Amino acid sequence: MDPSSTIQRLPAPPQPRRWSLPGWGLIQGLGVTALNIVQSYYRKERMTTVQYPEERAPISPNFRNFPFLCYDGSDPVAGLRCTACSICEKECPPQCIYIVLDRDENGKSLKRPRIFDIDLSVCMNCGICSEVCPFDSIYMDGEYELSTDDRFGGLLFGLDRLSKSADYHMQLRPLQATEIATRRKADEDKKLAAQAAKLAKAKADKEKKDQEMAESQPEGESA
Amino acid sequence: MTLLENLQHANPALWSPEWLPRLPQRLVEILLQSCGAPDWLVTLAGLFVAAGTVVGVFLSAFALLSLIERKTLARAQNRIGPNRAGWFGILQPVADGIKMLTKEDIVPAKAEWLLHLAAPILIVVPPILALGVIPYGREWVPVRVELGLLFFFAVGTLTELSVFMAGWASGSKFPMLGAMRAISQMVSYELPLMISALGVIMVTGSLSLPAIVAHQAGFHLGFIPAWNLFTPWGLSAGLIFYVASIAEANRCPFDLPEGESEIVAGHMTEYSGFKYALFFMGEYLGLFSIAGLGVTLFLGGWQAPLPGLGLVPSWIWFFAKLAVVIMSYLWIRATFPRVRIDQLMRFAWLCLIPMALLTIPAAAIWHYAGGGVLGWLATVPLLLIPWVVLTVVYNRRLAPTTRSYTFADS
Amino acid sequence: MTPLLILTPLILLAALGAVWNARPVHAALLLALALALIAVLYLIIGADFIGLVQFMVYVGAIAVLIVFSLLITRPGDEAEELARRPRSLVTGLACVLPVLAILVYAVSRVVKFPDAPVENPSVSIAQVGQVLFTSYAPAVLTVGVLLTAVMIGAALFARDPGKNPQFPSDS
Repeated sequence: MDPSSTIQRLPAPPQPRRWSLPGWGLIQGLGVTALNIVQSYYRKERMTTVQYPEERAPISPNFRNFPFLCYDGSDPVAGLRCTACSICEKECPPQCIYIVLDRDENGKSLKRPRIFDIDLSVCMNCGICSEVCPFDSIYMDGEYELSTDDRFGGLLFGLDRLSKSADYHMQLRPLQATEIATRRKADEDKKLAAQAAKLAKAKADKEKKDQEMAESQPEGESA
Repeated sequence: MTLLENLQHANPALWSPEWLPRLPQRLVEILLQSCGAPDWLVTLAGLFVAAGTVVGVFLSAFALLSLIERKTLARAQNRIGPNRAGWFGILQPVADGIKMLTKEDIVPAKAEWLLHLAAPILIVVPPILALGVIPYGREWVPVRVELGLLFFFAVGTLTELSVFMAGWASGSKFPMLGAMRAISQMVSYELPLMISALGVIMVTGSLSLPAIVAHQAGFHLGFIPAWNLFTPWGLSAGLIFYVASIAEANRCPFDLPEGESEIVAGHMTEYSGFKYALFFMGEYLGLFSIAGLGVTLFLGGWQAPLPGLGLVPSWIWFFAKLAVVIMSYLWIRATFPRVRIDQLMRFAWLCLIPMALLTIPAAAIWHYAGGGVLGWLATVPLLLIPWVVLTVVYNRRLAPTTRSYTFADS
Repeated sequence: MTPLLILTPLILLAALGAVWNARPVHAALLLALALALIAVLYLIIGADFIGLVQFMVYVGAIAVLIVFSLLITRPGDEAEELARRPRSLVTGLACVLPVLAILVYAVSRVVKFPDAPVENPSVSIAQVGQVLFTSYAPAVLTVGVLLTAVMIGAALFARDPGKNPQFPSDS
């Protein structure tokens, strides 16, 4: 061994005993297996089998599958956070998102999508759409039982299947959803505070103006 | 005489539990006799029914064992075994059978189809023949052969030839390599098997299996059965027979011929569908027959283990002992890793054969010392000292030590 | 008599096939078949012990030895096998016919064919063992020494420790 070597080494394992009964290791092995067989009947936590489809293994919050759209409150149309800005459509690497903006009869944008289609057979679960969304509206779902026998339209999900509530998001990814909720609440509070401050300022300005008007009025009348 | 009179005049013990295994045979014989059939037809029909009973019992035992093995191995690996096909998976062998029957039968173009077809058939025949000479109960040996043990070993050697045919006729490298290894393994372990059985033959003085079982009747000290396993040479020979039987049946830890991670399926690689099922069946039936022989030679066959338990029918004892031996095979399969081919050969030739050869003088000394304390004193050193020499002195340098890494330590 | 009439042509056919077949594996398997049928012949005429021992030794050991050596040394060279057909019938017959004549003469001195059949001699294994290890003991011991020498020679020939020391005991 080279003394100038800088490789980190673990301490040497303990040396085996010089002599042991021949076959003792075999008997120890048999004991381990016998313990497994006997304990598997009454110690349920040993058994790692998940009896699908009656039970399902729990999925981790880091698991991501296909995207879904988030809406606040209970109305999936009115509370939808998506404003159809199409950034996710442009950033998607396999181009699996198709968005059509909803416009009213004058052509003015209503800031919501009329059509929002994702082709799940194209989607590669990269999560880029979720990373670039500025309106906290598209996130990666965790559903995996999506197999269908319709080859052509069965995996094309529209607005009805993609919209899921913010409560669902909280259940799916608690950490991420909590962070987003606090940030949005903070933003909203700031906006409300700014609005309230503006109102208060306007009210103060108006009061000052009224006072000035009232001061100038009695001087005019007394002369 | 009418059938009813015939039944009334029949042996009154016909319906007793001891005679239960012979019931089908006796019923057919009585039926044919009452119809006035000639004697040779009665005998022939009786033999057919006896053979059919043996085959039927052991084929259903094979189906049950395949399920029990999977579930026991699963429990040993902390998981549940098959439990989807029927209640607790009891219909799993049926599902396996249907799968095997409906699979396409593929014969490679370079294979010789006649040998390819004959090999799985010829591999099922020896175990079924061998199962016919084992005494299952006090009243029941399917075929009474005076040279029963010799017959057993003679038909056992046919298995090696059919393994070769399977390997050669497949026409590709993996089966040939697998067949070579399988034959060398089976030939090497035949020797300890037969030599350890020689001690039993010497002490009993007969090759007939019912006589060997009858020789092991009685109890020492009132409660220890006089089985061959409870003598020093019998213990040594029994252990050697046990290990050699695992190797003969190609079971883990000696299942190199069919180790999936090493050599696909060895000589069975190019077989699909029902032919593969026949190989599987031949292996398990061979396991039953050799375990049955081990029970007969060393564990006293159908003898009861304690004096008062003679009331229980003898065939129940036989199958109970057989079940214990088979469960121990499963336990061993769940525990030990596979041995390499060179470790396997070394173990057979350098450890098992010398120990097996030593049981012969040990058995002779025991026989002439008349058993008892003198016999134990004389034979135990003869067996123990060479074993210690073999395992401790000679094989110590083959035991695992701390590894030294030539590149990492430089 | 009928079983013998059926069996004997089969044995002859198998033996002829073993000799005439150009592919060694087929020839070896036909030889094994011929030996197995001879064992059946022994069993039919009542020599149980010899029949079973014939099966165990010839079919189970010697035939396996032949096919095993074929497996190891010839990995299937078909063109070479087919080209090695025996060509000279005259030399072959000249070698075989005298031996056959001697055999027929020797057997006819013992068996008065086609007289009444000889009753099956009932020899127990105990007697065979007794004779083998007392009167014929020198022959048995000599065979044992010969076999040991063969095994040691084969083991020495088969391994060359200088070439590939892959096992710890080799170097």
